[in-house]
Amino acid sequence: MQFTLVVYGAPHASEGANTALRFARAVLASGHGIYRVFFYGDGVHNGSALVAPPQDEQDLLSQWQDLKIAHNLDLTLCIAAAQRRGVLNDSEASRLEKPSGNMADGFELAGLGQLAEAAAVSDRIVTFGS
Amino acid sequence: MAQEKTLLAMCRHAPYGHTIAREGLEAVLACAAMDQVPEVLFINDGVLQLLEQNPKTIGEKNLRRNLQALPMFGVETLHVCRRSLEERGISLDNIDVPGAALALVDNPGPYIAGFDQVLSF
Amino acid sequence: MTLHIVSQSPFSGSALKDCLSAFADGDALLLIEDAVYAAKGQTITQLKGKSVYCLEPDAVARGISIDPAIEAIDETRWVSLCTEHNPIVSWFR
Repeated sequence: MQFTLVVYGAPHASEGANTALRFARAVLASGHGIYRVFFYGDGVHNGSALVAPPQDEQDLLSQWQDLKIAHNLDLTLCIAAAQRRGVLNDSEASRLEKPSGNMADGFELAGLGQLAEAAAVSDRIVTFGS
Repeated sequence: MAQEKTLLAMCRHAPYGHTIAREGLEAVLACAAMDQVPEVLFINDGVLQLLEQNPKTIGEKNLRRNLQALPMFGVETLHVCRRSLEERGISLDNIDVPGAALALVDNPGPYIAGFDQVLSF
Repeated sequence: MTLHIVSQSPFSGSALKDCLSAFADGDALLLIEDAVYAAKGQTITQLKGKSVYCLEPDAVARGISIDPAIEAIDETRWVSLCTEHNPIVSWFR
C-alpha cells in the first residue's frame, strides 16, 4: 500500500513530527511505501536547515534526511505555508529579496497541488497534527 | 487528473485563532483546482467560519472570501454538522454563502465513513 | 470503516469528545500522544463498546498504565490498523 503522511507539527514544538517519523519507519518496515510526506502549516519548519536542538536531544531534521536517503522519500514543503513562516530555498529567498535561503537538503518546495495529487494516488492519507 | 478517490475536507476550527482554518480552505481550493474536488464538512468550531465576519478590526483578511470562492471551483454544496450549529446557538438563517448550497449533516459518523480519504483542518 | 486517531488530552480540549460525536458503528479509535491520558480513569466509560487502541510507547513514555479494556499496540500494529480501515481521520486540537 502507498501512504501519504501530512505533517502539521513543527519539530521540537508539538509531538506530531516525531510521531510521524516513528509511523513512517513502521510503514516502511512493514513493506509498504510512502508516496509523499507533505509538510503543511507549522510542519514546514521541519525543512529548516537552521533548527539546532541541544546535543542530548534527538535531531528530527537528520532523521528525516536519513530516512530520505535510505528510502528515497519525497519530502515536500508547501510553498505557501513555508513562505509565511520563513522557510525558503535560495532561489525563493532571492526572488523575495530575503537575506538567505534556509531550506534543508532533502526537502522540496511545491504547491498544494502536490497534496491533491497525493490524495488522488495514495491508498491512505494519515494526518499528524500540531 | 482523473478523480479516483472520494475526498472529504473536514474543517473543525474557528476562523482567526489559528491559521489552520485559512490553510484548510486554501488546500480545499487547491484540490478542487486540480480536479480532485473534495466535499467539505464544517463541524465543531469549523461552523464558525460560516458566520459573517469583519476582521478588518484585527488587520486580517476575511476568510469568507475563500469560502465564497469554493462554488467557483466546483464545491457547490457545503456540508454543515447540525449538532455543531445547535451547540453554538447558530441557526441556518444566520448563514449565507453566496453561490453555495448548505446541506445539514445529522449523523457525521456514517457520512465521514463513506469517503476514501479525509483531510482534517 | 473509519480509523479515528486522537492525539489531544481529553482534559485539555474537545478532540476526543468531537471524535466520539462523529463515531459510526464499526469504527475504531486509536489514542496517541497526549490522548493516551484517556486510556485510564473515568474517560474509559465513554469508550465502552467501541474498538479502542492505545499506542503503548506513548503511554509508557508518560507513565500511564493502559486499562485492560483497551488494546495496547505498537507502531507496526498501527500501520496494519491503517491498512484495515478507511478513511483515516485525525483529531488533534
